[in-house]
Formats: sequence, C-alpha cells, structure tokens
Amino acid sequence: MPSLRTSLAAASALLLAACASPVDSPASLTDAQPSLAPEVASATAVAAIDNCGTHVALGTSPERIVAIKSSAAELLLALGLEERMVAAAFLDGPLEPGTGDDGTGVALLSEGLPGQEAVLGLEPDAIFAGWESNLSADGAGERDQLERLGIVTYVAPSACKGAEHQPSPMTFPLLMDHILEAGDVFGAAPQSQRLVAELEAQLSALEPDPRGLTALWYSSGSDTPYVGAGIGAPQMVMGAAGLTNIVGDVQDTWTSVSWEAVAAEDPDVIVLVDAAWNTADDKIAVLEDNPATAQLSAVRNGYYVVVPFASSEAGVRSVRAVAQIVDQLAGIAVED
Amino acid sequence: MAASARSAWGLSIALALALIVSLAAAASIGVAGLSLSTVWQVVLDHLGLANAQVSTLTDAIVWEIRVPRALTAAAVGAGLAVAGVVMQALTRNPLADPYLLGLSSGASLGAVAVLLMGLGGAIALSVALPAAAFVGALLALAASLGIARAAGAIGPATVVLAGLAVSQFLAAVTSLIIFLTAQGDSYRQVLAWLLGSLAGASWTTVAVAAVAIALVLPLVVAWASRLDAFALGDTAAQALGFSVRTTRLVLFVAVSLLTGAMVSASGAIGFVGLILPHLVRGLTGGIHRRLVPAAALGGAVFLVWADTLARTIVDPRELPVGVVTAVIGVPAFILVLVRARRRSVS
Repeated sequence: MPSLRTSLAAASALLLAACASPVDSPASLTDAQPSLAPEVASATAVAAIDNCGTHVALGTSPERIVAIKSSAAELLLALGLEERMVAAAFLDGPLEPGTGDDGTGVALLSEGLPGQEAVLGLEPDAIFAGWESNLSADGAGERDQLERLGIVTYVAPSACKGAEHQPSPMTFPLLMDHILEAGDVFGAAPQSQRLVAELEAQLSALEPDPRGLTALWYSSGSDTPYVGAGIGAPQMVMGAAGLTNIVGDVQDTWTSVSWEAVAAEDPDVIVLVDAAWNTADDKIAVLEDNPATAQLSAVRNGYYVVVPFASSEAGVRSVRAVAQIVDQLAGIAVED
Repeated sequence: MAASARSAWGLSIALALALIVSLAAAASIGVAGLSLSTVWQVVLDHLGLANAQVSTLTDAIVWEIRVPRALTAAAVGAGLAVAGVVMQALTRNPLADPYLLGLSSGASLGAVAVLLMGLGGAIALSVALPAAAFVGALLALAASLGIARAAGAIGPATVVLAGLAVSQFLAAVTSLIIFLTAQGDSYRQVLAWLLGSLAGASWTTVAVAAVAIALVLPLVVAWASRLDAFALGDTAAQALGFSVRTTRLVLFVAVSLLTGAMVSASGAIGFVGLILPHLVRGLTGGIHRRLVPAAALGGAVFLVWADTLARTIVDPRELPVGVVTAVIGVPAFILVLVRARRRSVS
C-alpha cells in the first residue's frame, strides 16, 4: 500500500511538472506576487490580481479556455476569443453573445456542472467560471489544485461570495472594471476596452423609465419566491431601468421572501425571469393561481416584464437586459 | 391519581385556550403590518359577522395567506405530535418519529418527481404536488410493511428496520432525480420543500390536514388504552384481550395516512413529531388517554408559534420553520427532561 501511494505521488509530481513547464509558470508568478514590494509591482504593471481571494497571474494569453456558465462563455465570445475556447459547460440556454463571435464553434462539454476529469481531459490552460462554486472538488476542481497544474482559474468577480470580495452593491461601473480585468486575464485587453466603450455607450443612450415604478424581480419558487435583492445583478439592472426594487433593502444578491411581504409592498410591475425549466408563463400561472398573489395589482393588470435567465447574471447581457426592461415598460401604462 | 388526572385535563383545557389565542395572534402578526382592526374586520367579514371596507389585496393577505397558514400550522403540528406519540408507543422506541416508515422520503420522492420531471404544469402543481407526496408516502408505507411481513412479522424491530431500508433507498432515488434533472435554479424549490415549510399553505392544505386529523384522532383516542398496553410488551398486551398484530397494523396505516397528509401539506417538518411527544409526556405522564389530546393541542400551539416566528423575525425573508422548531423546542425539551428526572428521583 505505501509503495502504491509513493508511486502515485511520484506520478502526479511528474504530471505537475509536465503540465507546468510549457506554460512556464503562472503558478510561480502567483507565488511570487505577495513577496513583491509594492513599488516593484507597480513598476512592472500588475503581475497578478486578487480574484475572490485567489491570486491570478496576468500576462499570459491562454489558448485552451473552458468556460462554465453562460455569463463566462458569452463574455469570452464578446471579447472575440471563440478560437481560444475549447469548450463551454453548464449553460443557461443557447449562447447569445450579441457582439463579437457567435459561439457556433464552441463545443458543449456538459449540460450540468462538469467534473474534474472531464475538464482536465480537455487539457485546458484556463478555466473561466461564472460561479465561485463551479471551481470546487464537486465541480471542475479546487482552484489551488488547478493552479498547481498550470491552469489559470478565474471567477466572474460579481459572483465572489466572500464578504471582502463580494461587490456590495454590484454596479455598472464595477461590471466595466470586471470586463477590463477579464481582458487582462485572458490576454484580450484591447478587445475588452472596445467592448466596455461599446457597452458604456449603449448604457448611456438608454433613458431609465421616469415614473419611479416599484418592482419585484421574480426568479423562481412558488411558495416562497426567490427574488432579486439589494446588492446583486438584478438590483443593478432594475436600478438602471428606473425601477425601485421592493426587496432592495435586503443586503444580499438574491433572497427568499414571503408572498405576504410582496403583497404588503404591492409592486407596480413584476420582472419575470424566463428559463427553459421555469418559463415566464409558468410564473404567471403560479401568480394567477394563488388566490393571494392573484390580487397583486401587477398580476391583475398583467404588468409583467420578461428577462431571459442568462441576463440575471452580471455580464455582457446586463446592458441589453436594461434595454429590454425599458422597452417593455414603455408598453405599460400604470395608472396611479 | 385523581389530582394528576385533573391536572392533565387542566393542561389540555389550558392548551386549547392557548391554541385559540395563538391562532388569533398568528392571524394578526405579519410583515405586512396591517392593523389589528383591519385583520379582524376581514376575518369577521368572511365569517359573515361584519362588512369589511378593505382593499382586495388586504383581504387576500389576511384570508388567503395568514389564516390558512395558521390553521395549516395548527393541524400539521397536532397531526405530527399525535403520529409521534403513536409511533413511539407501537415500537416501544423513544426515538421513533412519524417519518419512521419511510413516509417522508416517499413523500419527498413524489414531490420531487412532480417538481423536476415536469409531470404537472404550473396550475396543476398546487394539486399535483400534495397528491404526489401523499401517494409517495403511502407507497413507502406499503413497501415497509410488505418487507416487514415478508421478513416474518410486523413486530416493532422488523418494522423499524424495514422502514429504515425503504427510507434510505427512496432518499437515494430522490437524490438521483435531483442530480440528473435539476436545471438552473430549479433545485432551490425542491430544497425548500425537502426542508419543510408552511409557506405553501392554502385552504386546500387546511382541508387535507383537517380531514386526516378528523379521521385518525378519534381512532387513536378510542384505542388509547391499547397504546398503554403496548408499553408492557406484545405478550402482556395480548393477554389484555385484543389482537396485537391487527391493532399495530391498523394504527401503522392510520398514522401513515396522517403523516402522509401532513407531509403533503408542508414537507417534512422535523422535531415536532419526535420531541414534542416527550415534552408533553413530561407534563401529563405516559397514560395515552391524557397524553394524546395534550400532545395534539401542544403540537398545534407549538407549530403555530414556530411558523409565526419563521415568517416574521427576518422580515421580509423567511426562515425555514425547522430551524425555529429546533431552536425553541430543544431548550424546552431539556427543561422538561431535567425536571421530570428530578421529580422521579425525589
């Protein structure tokens, strides 16, 4: 038994060496970063960034990127990196990048969260995850293990869960920073600057709805609805569209509320998240079927706004989500 | 003996009054911040005693959310406590709970199948989910009793082991279905259901839970002395002149119907069926004629308050009610346990 373990250890050490050498050491850069004196770091530009508490080396240009979740995959496409994506996994629906590459050449690794071997089998040199939990032993692997194998791991910063790393609240200026950061991580800085300029122009061209309407972002659940709360992407998008979130004072990205709390606020409109497994029509049916929610004024008047599920994560779709909401609000004549 | 009998009835009367007060309080308290007079105008209006001038939404908050929810909590609390008392007596096992025969995992499997495999559209869901949970619970019961019978006897140990096997198996199937079919955030609704919650209460769940209690409670009360006899062991019970096997089988089925109805209304709420019987037994003693009514009322009062706290203390969010039942129930249980031990020593 000990001999087996020793040989396994030796084999994995070899594997580590083999994987680490061609890329030449994002891992060693990561290790070196904390010891760099601040003035040295600023002199050599930023050599690494803090991503949800993990140091991620900059300056590499990954050629075999795996994207997990639609938000990650669509950002890479918008940066024009389709050629460098080996696969995408765990998508919320069909890829809709909007600008940039169309993603038709991207292989789908798995419908759900892929396991470690499935990901490593693609020999990626970088993994871009939409959720922090995608990079865990149950998913694509722990970040430090992947780093030791020479794989750059990057999580959408808006999805950081730790208190000191979670954006509170998430905002469009932060989103633009995150896109620029992703450009640096994946060696696409010029493209990210163009993308940000484009998104900022689109956003500033949008007129938020001026009526000061209140709204509920209804994501899922029927007994205790799961809704957009005060500091996440739903709040960011609703705010930019001119809507006041009735759950905006809850310090969380999403939260569960009671229907009574919703009824007490009686929102002017309800934003319905449309997913293949839980469509906007399903949610309307739930609202109309429940005798309590059937009395909400938004339900009685049919004042619904629909956004695709993938737009509920912060990313390249967020500006479009604002535009979609503003457009749909224009067709709603809320009486006082 | 006479004094303790009187005090046990006194306890039941006190608990009955407490239940009425608790239901009234639960209807009056909520995150919507309605005034007492508004709430009671609505209630009296629906009872045909007044004419309320309130908005339809206010009316719905009181009459479609709070009142059915408080009544469902009371019925589920009573049902689970009685089911726990009977299960503990039949199996002579203080660790027995209403979910012993695989009922909660059977019900969960039924509910998960409906939620994740798209066996019902959204409108059908409110009917299909409790129905599937109920059917799942009954199938689990049939499997447990069938295995116990095939193994030779519907004796306490065999039934517990058969129930354990069925529970574990169905829980694994449930996990498999969740793993294979949950998409996006649809697992969230399943998890909420598995944890147990009264948020889905409606007049339908009130009716389901109340009918189950109306059918089962009289039987349990009528057979209270048989439950006492089980404590003496099967042979001694047999000597008292009734069929131990038949009684046990009938009561297992009755309690499973009761539990299946409760789980279908609210998911599997922990603690009430396991600990509450011990809590009440510490106050009434083990004679079932006194224990059963007190446990039913105590369970009702307890769950009404636990749910009222769960839906109000972190306004506007909802705590899982199982968290509240354990956090307030366990200290109460320890207190009763220690006092009962001290009394028996002195």
